Amino acid sequence: MSDCEALRRALLADPRDPDPRWSEHRASCQECNQFAERLLRLESRLDRALRVTLPPPAAAAAPGAAGQSTDAAAPHSARVVPLRPKARRTVTRLPAYRKSWLAMAASVVLACVVAGALWLSVPGPSLAADVVTHMREEPQAWRRTDVPVPSAALQEVLRDSHLRLAVGTDVVSYASSCSFRGHQVPHLVMQTESGPVTVMVLVHDHVPKTVRFDEQGYRGVIVPVTGHGSLAVLTRGADTDIKTVERIAARVQASIVWTG
Amino acid sequence: MKDQVGGNQKRARFQALCQSLRPDLLRFAFWLSRDRALAEDVVQETMLRAWKAQDSLLDEAAAKPWFLTIIRREYARSFERKRFVTVDVDELVAREEPMLAAGEEQDLMELRTALLKLPDEYREPLVMQVLMGFSTAEIARELELSTAAVLTRLFRARKQLRVLCGEDTRLDPQE
Repeated sequence: MSDCEALRRALLADPRDPDPRWSEHRASCQECNQFAERLLRLESRLDRALRVTLPPPAAAAAPGAAGQSTDAAAPHSARVVPLRPKARRTVTRLPAYRKSWLAMAASVVLACVVAGALWLSVPGPSLAADVVTHMREEPQAWRRTDVPVPSAALQEVLRDSHLRLAVGTDVVSYASSCSFRGHQVPHLVMQTESGPVTVMVLVHDHVPKTVRFDEQGYRGVIVPVTGHGSLAVLTRGADTDIKTVERIAARVQASIVWTG
Repeated sequence: MKDQVGGNQKRARFQALCQSLRPDLLRFAFWLSRDRALAEDVVQETMLRAWKAQDSLLDEAAAKPWFLTIIRREYARSFERKRFVTVDVDELVAREEPMLAAGEEQDLMELRTALLKLPDEYREPLVMQVLMGFSTAEIARELELSTAAVLTRLFRARKQLRVLCGEDTRLDPQE
């Protein structure tokens, strides 16, 4: 099998195959390079095609939705049988001394319930937590590579968010339009001096000031962008300190040209 | 008290995990079944089973394959409950129009129609790779196939897709 055929077979099976042999071959074979670019364009469209429009979420989209008991809160609960039968209520007459103990116990329970309710009233997962969760869904994006995504594919991803990147920006090795908090947002990976850095352009999520986070192996910042929501920039692992991430975030922000 | 708070936190985390994964799980179920209503039923049952079995999910990082396995089993169970008839793809496209519609982007609609025409054994690994971000090894494990078999299926899936979309396939390698 010739190198050309082997490369094309490999790319048809996985167009984002990071094997360095292929980037070397692509650099020396114009036909294979064109083939790869066409395939990557198809891949970007395929990614978007698979993200079909979802029906509006039902009231209880996930088990245990807020405000409902665990048993009753399964998705689309009308069809769901409670997981445990309800305990039967029994009435028993008690002596007076036990009543006072029970009153004290009841007040303790009440305090626990109030504390629990207060704890439950804390807002849901933060924007940073959602960003980190999203990172875990796309581990393949974190590849260290010097192969940029085709500029047409990148432009397609950025177009809907009305932005483009200025010339001279770090190599963008991954670009995908991702579903995030009900919107399609650009998810990019840039190859910087500190390794791959993920950038999510969150035009629908506003933060009042810069949010730093360091959780579950991801370290990053979410910076406000006046009139355009916010920008999440993060690295994986503990090698890059937060100051460096902030410097990269500032550089990325400066490289964005808003077109709408 | 401490246990209760810990339990609440765990449940809240699991609930957040379900909510974050649900959209892609629903999409996966749709491409698996090619039927929106069935996909919703499958995901609903999956969430319920996952909720009951949440203690068996030891590592949140493995949540996606864990949910996917439940979805595939649940989808297989739906065959035990109901006998499905073969559907013409054109009828299917018309029926699922609200989910497949791509606004102004006609080429996306064409691509979606082409995806519906792919045989199940090619469409499933392709969706797992592109939509769910699974590696070849993860797909092989989930589908109980060899890595080589998965790569062949992915190769054929894209090759057929390109033909169905009328792309220039003159440079494509032969089987």
